[in-house]
Amino acid sequence: MPKGVLVDLTKCIGCRGCQVSCKQWNGLDAEVTTCEGSYENPPALKSNTYTKIRFVEGEENNKFFWGFIKTQCMHCKEPACVSACLVGSLKKSPEGPVTYDSGKCIGCRYCMLACPFSIPTFEWNKAFPLVKKCTFCADRISEGETPSCVKTCPSDALQFGEYDIILKEAENRINSNPNKYINYIYGKDEVGGTSWLYISGISFDKLGFKTQLSKEALPNLTWKSLVKIPYVVGGLAVVLSGLWFITKRKEEVNKLEKTHKSEG
Amino acid sequence: MNNITRREFFKFTGGAIPAVIGLPSLLSAESTTTDYKIKYAKETTTICPFCAVGCGIIVHTEDGKVINTEGDSDHPINEGSLCSKGSAVYQIPNNARRLTKMLYRAPKSNVWEEKDLDWAISEVAKRIKAARDKSFIPVDPAGVTVNRTEAIASIGGAALNNEECYLITKLTRALGVVYFEHEARLCHSSTVAALGPSFGRGAMTNHWIDIKNSDCVFIIGSNPAENHPMAFKWIMKAKENGAKILVADPRFTRSASKSDIYVRLRPGTDIALIGGIINYCIKNKLYHEQYVKEYTNASFLVDPNFSFNDGLFGGYDSKKRAYDVTTWDYQKNEQGKPSVDVTLQSPQCVFQLMKKHYSRYTLNVVQKITGITKEKFEELAKAFCETGKSGKSGTILYAMGATQHTTATQYIRSYAILQLLLGNMGMPGGGINAMRGESNVQGSTDMALLFHLVPGYMSSPKAVDHPTLAKYLEKETPYTSFWSNKPKFFVSLLKAFWGDKATKANDFCYDYLPKIGSGYKGGGYSWIALFEAMYDGKIKGLINWGMNPAVSGPNSNLTLKGLENLDFLVDFSLWETETSSFWNRPGADPSSIKTEVFLFPAASSVEKEGSISNSGRWIQWRYKAIEPVGDAKSDLWYLNKLHKELKKLYKKDNKAVFPDPIVNLNWDYGDEPDVHLVAKEINGYTVADKIQLLNFTKLADDGSTACGNWIMSGFYPGPDKKDNKASQRNKEDKSNLGLYSGWAYAWPLNRRIIYNRCSADTNGKPWNNKKALVNWDSVSNQWVNNDIPDFGWKDAKTGNMVPPEKSAQAPYIMLPELHARFFVPKGATKEGPFPEHYEPFESPVKNLLSSQQINPVIKIWDADLDKRAQIDSKEFPIIATTYRLTEHWQAGPMTRNLPWLAELMPEMFVELSPALAKAKNINNGEWVKIVNLRGDCMARACITDRIQALNVDGKLTEVVALPWHFGFFGYVTGGPDNKNYAANQLTANVGDGNTMIPEYKVFLCDIRKT
Repeated sequence: MPKGVLVDLTKCIGCRGCQVSCKQWNGLDAEVTTCEGSYENPPALKSNTYTKIRFVEGEENNKFFWGFIKTQCMHCKEPACVSACLVGSLKKSPEGPVTYDSGKCIGCRYCMLACPFSIPTFEWNKAFPLVKKCTFCADRISEGETPSCVKTCPSDALQFGEYDIILKEAENRINSNPNKYINYIYGKDEVGGTSWLYISGISFDKLGFKTQLSKEALPNLTWKSLVKIPYVVGGLAVVLSGLWFITKRKEEVNKLEKTHKSEG
Repeated sequence: MNNITRREFFKFTGGAIPAVIGLPSLLSAESTTTDYKIKYAKETTTICPFCAVGCGIIVHTEDGKVINTEGDSDHPINEGSLCSKGSAVYQIPNNARRLTKMLYRAPKSNVWEEKDLDWAISEVAKRIKAARDKSFIPVDPAGVTVNRTEAIASIGGAALNNEECYLITKLTRALGVVYFEHEARLCHSSTVAALGPSFGRGAMTNHWIDIKNSDCVFIIGSNPAENHPMAFKWIMKAKENGAKILVADPRFTRSASKSDIYVRLRPGTDIALIGGIINYCIKNKLYHEQYVKEYTNASFLVDPNFSFNDGLFGGYDSKKRAYDVTTWDYQKNEQGKPSVDVTLQSPQCVFQLMKKHYSRYTLNVVQKITGITKEKFEELAKAFCETGKSGKSGTILYAMGATQHTTATQYIRSYAILQLLLGNMGMPGGGINAMRGESNVQGSTDMALLFHLVPGYMSSPKAVDHPTLAKYLEKETPYTSFWSNKPKFFVSLLKAFWGDKATKANDFCYDYLPKIGSGYKGGGYSWIALFEAMYDGKIKGLINWGMNPAVSGPNSNLTLKGLENLDFLVDFSLWETETSSFWNRPGADPSSIKTEVFLFPAASSVEKEGSISNSGRWIQWRYKAIEPVGDAKSDLWYLNKLHKELKKLYKKDNKAVFPDPIVNLNWDYGDEPDVHLVAKEINGYTVADKIQLLNFTKLADDGSTACGNWIMSGFYPGPDKKDNKASQRNKEDKSNLGLYSGWAYAWPLNRRIIYNRCSADTNGKPWNNKKALVNWDSVSNQWVNNDIPDFGWKDAKTGNMVPPEKSAQAPYIMLPELHARFFVPKGATKEGPFPEHYEPFESPVKNLLSSQQINPVIKIWDADLDKRAQIDSKEFPIIATTYRLTEHWQAGPMTRNLPWLAELMPEMFVELSPALAKAKNINNGEWVKIVNLRGDCMARACITDRIQALNVDGKLTEVVALPWHFGFFGYVTGGPDNKNYAANQLTANVGDGNTMIPEYKVFLCDIRKT
C-alpha cells in the first residue's frame, strides 16, 4: 500500500529536528554556511541536505505570521524524474518512495530538469557525482519504522501512514476546523498527486509554494511519455506547456549549477 | 535496560516499537540502496544532555562506537521525538573536536602541552591544598568557628549526573570552599527565591506532559518552541483540546507563531503587566473565591503599621539599601497564630492590601509602561482570567525572560499571586512551570551547588546566625509545616558526609561545614560577587565543572580579566572552550598571563552512568553506551581521584591546616567509583546495618540514619539495581492525565503534581472530575488518589484516613502558615511582601509608578569595568535583550562544536526592526556593531517585522535582540574573524535583590553600521 506524509503547517514550530535527524540517519555531512539575515539555512536543498525548513514572514488578514515550511522530495505518485531517467536509476516503489540506484545512474541530470519541485541535486564536488535527494527513508519504511524526520517531529506536524488514511486525516482536519485551515490540500492534485500532503492556515502562495503547477501527472507531458503513448499527442497545448515547463526548469538548473561551481 | 540487543529491547518494552526484525523487506531489493544500519546494533537508553525536558534517546552502538541516536519511542515525554539539538547527540561522541588528552598550559605559555592524567591530578591536588591552607579562616573576627577558604571557587555541574553533583557538593564543602556556584545561579535562582516563599518549594509545580491538561497556556518570559521544543508537543495537544495559547514577549518568537494571542511588551516590564492583570482580575471578580479564601493567606490580618508609599514598603534604609521588615508580618491571636478575617473585608487583611496595592496598576499606567495596547491587554487578561472559573486550569510557562532581571524574584512572585487568585495551583493543567534549561540543573540545584544552601534546600550555616548545630537547628526549624522535620534531614546529611566520625558528642561534625560570612564587599559569594572578587585578585584557584563563564557570565570583559588574575584554573570539559583558552583570546597576550590551566577531558552523557532530574522533578537513569573517548573520564572518576589525592596529601602533611573534614570524609566508592553506591547514599540508609531507607519519612535526627539529599530519598530504596526507581519504565497511566507514576521517580515521594490537595475543594471533591488527582470518597470515607497526595491524608501512626476538612486547613505543607502566600512576610523576599514594578538597571524611561527608579534593594557594584548608562541616554537609546535559539545551547561548546547545528545557526546576529534598520541605513545580513559602555559585539543584521519599536509613554523605543551562544572558540565562533562574538560583553554585573541573578534581559546600547 502506498504511504504518505501529512505536513500540518499549523503545528510546525520550526525547531528543525527533522533537518538534523535526516542528516543523522542518512549520514550526511554538514554544510559550511553563513547567516544571511534569516534563520533559514542551508540556503538550498543540496546533495547533503535532503530536507530543510523554509522560514517565511508575512501578513494575512491583517495578521502577522511566521511560517515554517518543510521541503523535501514530494515523492510524486507519477514522478517526472522517473520517467525522465534514461537508465531506470530512479524508481517509483509501490510503497511510495521514489528511490535511486546509484549503480545505474549515468549522471545525465535529466531528473533535475524534470522535477517540478526542483528537488534532486547533484554532488558537484565529487569526481563521480551522484544525484541525491530524500529517499523517504525507504530503508526505515521497509523495516516498519517511520521516516526519520517524521519520527523526530516534536509537535506532531508530520504524520506518516497509509496514503489514503493520511489524505482522509487531512480532509478531516480541514472540515472540522474550517476557521483554522484554508480549504486546500497541497499535493493532493499537484502534478497528479504527491505522497507528501500539506495543510495550512496561511495561503500556500504566501508561503512560497508553487501554486500554478499542472494538476496532471507530468510524465504524461514529457516527450518520452508522448512517444510511448502516441494517443495523447492530440492535446497540443498540453505538449507545449510541458515543453515550456522543461525549458523553464532548465534555466533554473543552469543558474544553480553556476552557483555551485563558483562555490566549489 | 542497559546494554541490550534491539530484539531484547522490544521484548522488554512490550513491543511498543513495531518489532520488525526478520520480516522480509516490504520494498523490492533495488529500491533500498542501503542496509538497515541499526539492524544488529546494541541499544542503550539515555536522556538528552541538553535542556531539562528530559527526553529519552536510544543510542545504537556497534563495536564500541555510536552508530545512531534517535528518540526513545517508549518515553512518555517525547514519544520518540527530538528537536534539532536532541537529534544531533550523535555528534557528541563522534566528534574530532572532543578532548581526548589532558592539556596543561604553563604560566605565560602560549601553547597547550599534553600531560598524563595522574600527574595532572596530583598537581591539581597540590595547588588546591596550598591555596586552601594559605587562605584558611578557622575563626571569624567575632570568634565564631567558620572553617572556610575564600581563595578557591568552584563553579558548574548542571550538565552532570546527580551522583557527580553530590560528590562535588561533598568534596567542595569538606575543603571549606564558600565561593560555590553553578548554572542555577544564572538561570533559575530567582525561581527558588520566589516559589519557595510563595508555596514552600522552589521547583516546577507540574510537569511537561501535564501541560496537555491545560485550558490556557500563558507563555511569558520564555520561548518553549525554541528552548524546550518538546514542551510544544504537549502545548499543541492542549491546543487541540481547545486551550488558548497566550504569548507575551518583546519579540515575535517561534512560540508566538503558534499563539492565539500575542502581546509585545517592553523588556523589564512584566510586573507592570501582571500587576495589571491582577488588578483586572480582582476588579472584575474573576478570581476563584473559595480557593482564595481557603487555601491562601488572603484572610490573614497584617500588622497595622505595615505601609507602602511611593514605591517603598515601610522600614526602608536607603544607606543600607535594605529594609527593616518588622512590620511585614501578621497580627497574631492568643495562640500565637495569625489573626484572620474570613470575609476578606478588613482593610488590614492580605486580600484588601493586595487589592489596594494593585489598584494602582490601571490600564492606562500598564499601557504606558509596557507598550501594550489597551485592546491587546484586555484580550490577554480576559483570556487568562477565564481559568479562574472553578474546574478550569491555566498554566504559566516561564524561563530566563522572567528570571534574569534585577526584579526577577518579584516577577515570579507576581505569577504566583495571579495563579493563586485563579485557583490554578495544584491543578492538572495549572501551576507555575519554571522551565529549566540544563539537563540536570534541577538535580544540581537540589544538590545545592550554591553557596547559600546545602543539599535539600536547607540553609548553609551562617557565621552570624548559626555558630553551633543547636543554633542552626533552632533558627532554621519552624514549629509547623513539614520543615519541622529539618533536624532529621540535616543530621542525616552530616552523617552521609562524615559517617562514623559524625557523633552526637561532636555535633555530627557540624563545624566541618564552612560557615558563610558577608562575602565579597558584603555582597555574598554568588556569581557576580565571585567574579568581582576574582577580578580583584582575591580568588587564587577556580575549579570548573563543565561551565563556560567566559561566554555565559555577565560583563564578559570583567570575567575574562578576572580569569587572568587566577593562579590556577582547573577545567573538566568535553571541549576546549572560551574559558579554558581565555589566555589565547582575541587581543590577549599569553606571555603576560600567569594563570596555570589544567584542562581535563571529560566523558559525555552516553559515556557514563547515573541519574539526572528533569524540570518536572523526574529523576531518570542514564546508562553507559560506550567507553569515554581517548583519555576522557567521568566527573565521578575525577572527583574520586581528586579526593584520594587530597586525602593522601592531608594525611602525610602534619602541618596541614585543619585536615579533619577531608581525611574524615565518608568516601568509599571503590577505585573505579561505583555510581550505584553514591546513588544509594543519596537515598539514605540506616547507619547500623546499612539498610536502604524506604524514603525520607524514615530519617532520624539522632545519627541513626545517613542521607545525602532528603528530597530525593525514596528513589533507591533497596540494595539492588532493580530497586533503582530512576530506571523504572512502567508506562501505566490510569489517571489518563499523563502522570506516569511508574516511569522514573519524581521527588518528593514520587508526587507528580505538587500542592495537589488544592485540586479538590474543602470536602475533597475535585474541582473538575476530569482533573482528579485526589478525591475523597464520602461513601467509603477514603481518599482515592491518582497522584501521591501532597498533604496529610493518612495518619502515619494509626493508618486512618484524615478527613478532607482537616487537610483543607493545611494544603501547603511546606509553609509555616500551611497556606499559600499572596503576602510574603518577614522579608523572605527582600523587596517586599508584594511585587512592585521598578525599572531595569538601565532604562530609557523614568518609572511611572513611583519615584523609585530601580529595585531599592539591589547591590550596585563599583569596579572600574562596572559601568551604567543613564536614564534616557542619548548615546545608548536602544533597549537590548538577549535570548537563546533552538539550535544552540547555552554558552555554545555543546552545539557550536557540532557541525549539524553549526550549519543551522552559523553566525552571531542581531534582530532589529525595519524602521531602525532604515534609520541607521543598515542592510539585511550585513555586519553591524552593537556597543555600550561595557563593550561591543559584531553581529549580522537580521531585519525583521518580528521586532518592532514600542510606544513607551508616548515615546517610540526601539528594541534589539541578541542570541548569547557565540564566543571566540569552537568549530564556529559566531563570525569569520578572530573576534569575540559573545553578547555578554554588553551585559552588566548587576543582579536581583534576592539571589543576585544577573540582569541579562535588559540593557541599553546603540547599533552602528560598520
